[in-house]
Amino acid sequence: MIENVLHSAIIMTTPVLLAALGGLINRVGGLVNIGLDSMMLAGALIGLILASQTGSWGIALVGAAAVGGVLGLLMSLCVTRLSANEIVVGLGFNILIAGLVRFFLKSAYGTSGTLSLPDVARLPRIDIPVIADIPYLGAILSGHDPLTWAAWLMVPVTVWFLRSTRLGLRLRATGSAPEAARALGLSPLTLRDASTIFAGLMAGLAGAYLSIGVVGLFNEGITAGRGFIALAAFYFGRNRPWLTAAGALLFGFFDALQIRLQGRGVPAELIQTLPYAMVIVVLTLMALAVRRARAKGA
Amino acid sequence: MSAAAVPIPASRFEAAAMVIAPLVLAFAGAALLLAVAGHNPFEVYQLLVVESFGGTRRIAATLAAATPLMLTGLATAVAFRAGAFNVGVEGCVYVGGLAAAYVGFTYVGLPAPILLPLALLAGLVVGSLWMLIPGVLKAKLSVDEVVTTLMLNFIAISLTAYLVNGPLLAPGSANSATPVVDAAARLPRLMPPSTLNAGFLIAVALLVLYWLWGQRTALGFETRLAGLNARFATASGINVPSLIIKMMLLSGAIGGLAGAVHALGNVGRFVSGFSPGYGFTGIAVALLGRGSALGIFLAAILFGALSASGATIQLFSDVPIEIVNILQGMVMIFAVARFGWTFGKKRRAA
Repeated sequence: MIENVLHSAIIMTTPVLLAALGGLINRVGGLVNIGLDSMMLAGALIGLILASQTGSWGIALVGAAAVGGVLGLLMSLCVTRLSANEIVVGLGFNILIAGLVRFFLKSAYGTSGTLSLPDVARLPRIDIPVIADIPYLGAILSGHDPLTWAAWLMVPVTVWFLRSTRLGLRLRATGSAPEAARALGLSPLTLRDASTIFAGLMAGLAGAYLSIGVVGLFNEGITAGRGFIALAAFYFGRNRPWLTAAGALLFGFFDALQIRLQGRGVPAELIQTLPYAMVIVVLTLMALAVRRARAKGA
Repeated sequence: MSAAAVPIPASRFEAAAMVIAPLVLAFAGAALLLAVAGHNPFEVYQLLVVESFGGTRRIAATLAAATPLMLTGLATAVAFRAGAFNVGVEGCVYVGGLAAAYVGFTYVGLPAPILLPLALLAGLVVGSLWMLIPGVLKAKLSVDEVVTTLMLNFIAISLTAYLVNGPLLAPGSANSATPVVDAAARLPRLMPPSTLNAGFLIAVALLVLYWLWGQRTALGFETRLAGLNARFATASGINVPSLIIKMMLLSGAIGGLAGAVHALGNVGRFVSGFSPGYGFTGIAVALLGRGSALGIFLAAILFGALSASGATIQLFSDVPIEIVNILQGMVMIFAVARFGWTFGKKRRAA
């Protein structure tokens, strides 16, 4: 039971982690991405279609990332070049893409809501020979797919990118002091566009993970609001990659636990509220800490 | 993050263009999509107009569909007026709807003149309390209300789902629904057999009050001032934090009332998946209506017409009803975008 929960917690974490790291980079660049869920949804659909038509999960991932990136670009252009409010555009994207996806399913496949295709190339599992037999550790480390490994590898890469690369520094400058960044000859808007495209790529991959990694079919409710959980994760992590990953893992754990506990008297719906409630608590504690620090300084 | 969501028009011409442009762009975009999918957009739009306004019965259906949207649009607008961006009206619809339904099926036997107002009041109060935490956090600690209210939506949906699957589940009924409310708690129908009910009158009355309040009262003026420029408002002696809390509570109350009207007027109980996104559509309504009472009324009727006719055109043609969501999403995006005259200029400071 415990090994099962641990294993599925890692699986449930992967899509949230991917989208959350994208959203983190986006937020560091100065844009809070509320449209992650729509990019996940589009990625899940395109990923499944490509995995069925080409028989290659690699092409499916590339396609899913591309469609997420394009949506990210469109969303970013609305915000950076047309001065649209990012929250409204994000919510608008969620409504629009959900509608487009269902419209497309009906028009192209004549189905409503669920799409099941033949010969879907699923993500392969990587079993690690010796570790697989070690209790607990085997459940955590073995039997996962390449995308899960890539997601976790992205955590230190994101740390390194933000801390040690020129581009990461510029992105941070863009987000925290756009005027100063502009004075230095950078183009904050272009950097912000790039960070939103990246968020879209990651969310597209997260979506593909759900369709060709977890279940092997597409459903209009496949993201189950995980784009918003990702938002909760990077708010919880306060823009720090490892803390964001910890947040994603916590949510993945709740998700896995909730499925396990179903029918055992623990209401799944109440567990589902925990990640969101945690974000409110964390934001409150942070604000209290800021106020205390300010009171001391004054 | 809660910087001006709606661009402020410079002239009357610009103001008119800002209302019409998003509609034209959205309908043009959807027309293109319909054409690509093999439908004749002109026929579809004609059908939409006929199905939503062609005849008394259809107009009644449109107004019925517009009723909750007038309330959620108004709820969004009142918070927005004070500079608080409340995206949590959807959650208020859920908790308010459940509270109203609870009173309606629990205190059976009370006469309608007592039970109905009591049930409406329950929705109003619970909706208002639901916004207490984000309101206080925003006013006292500057905690971003967009995040807190967004999170509260998911909490409200899950929490009510828990209640109607467990403690409040109708005995012997299918999953996820409360018992039906007492007949005395139902909002009277205005034009049977359509579902248009007294909730419509409540919504219109509130919009009129909102208009009077904004035009004629000091609080309305102060609120607008605080929303336009919080620092200036503070300098002129207005207590902005207390104003924000008040407006968030008012916003939640109206959102809760929207849920109560939906429960007591349309559904007759609380069911899971209670709101088809009324709170989110309300944001589009408030934006398109530019926060004015008449604008909210008209925008709500537009979206009401789309959803009422969308359901029927799907029955008689093969046009997917999703075209309604597509239009709605595009209207929302285009309503906050500034075209042409600011292109390439550095406007965003944040």
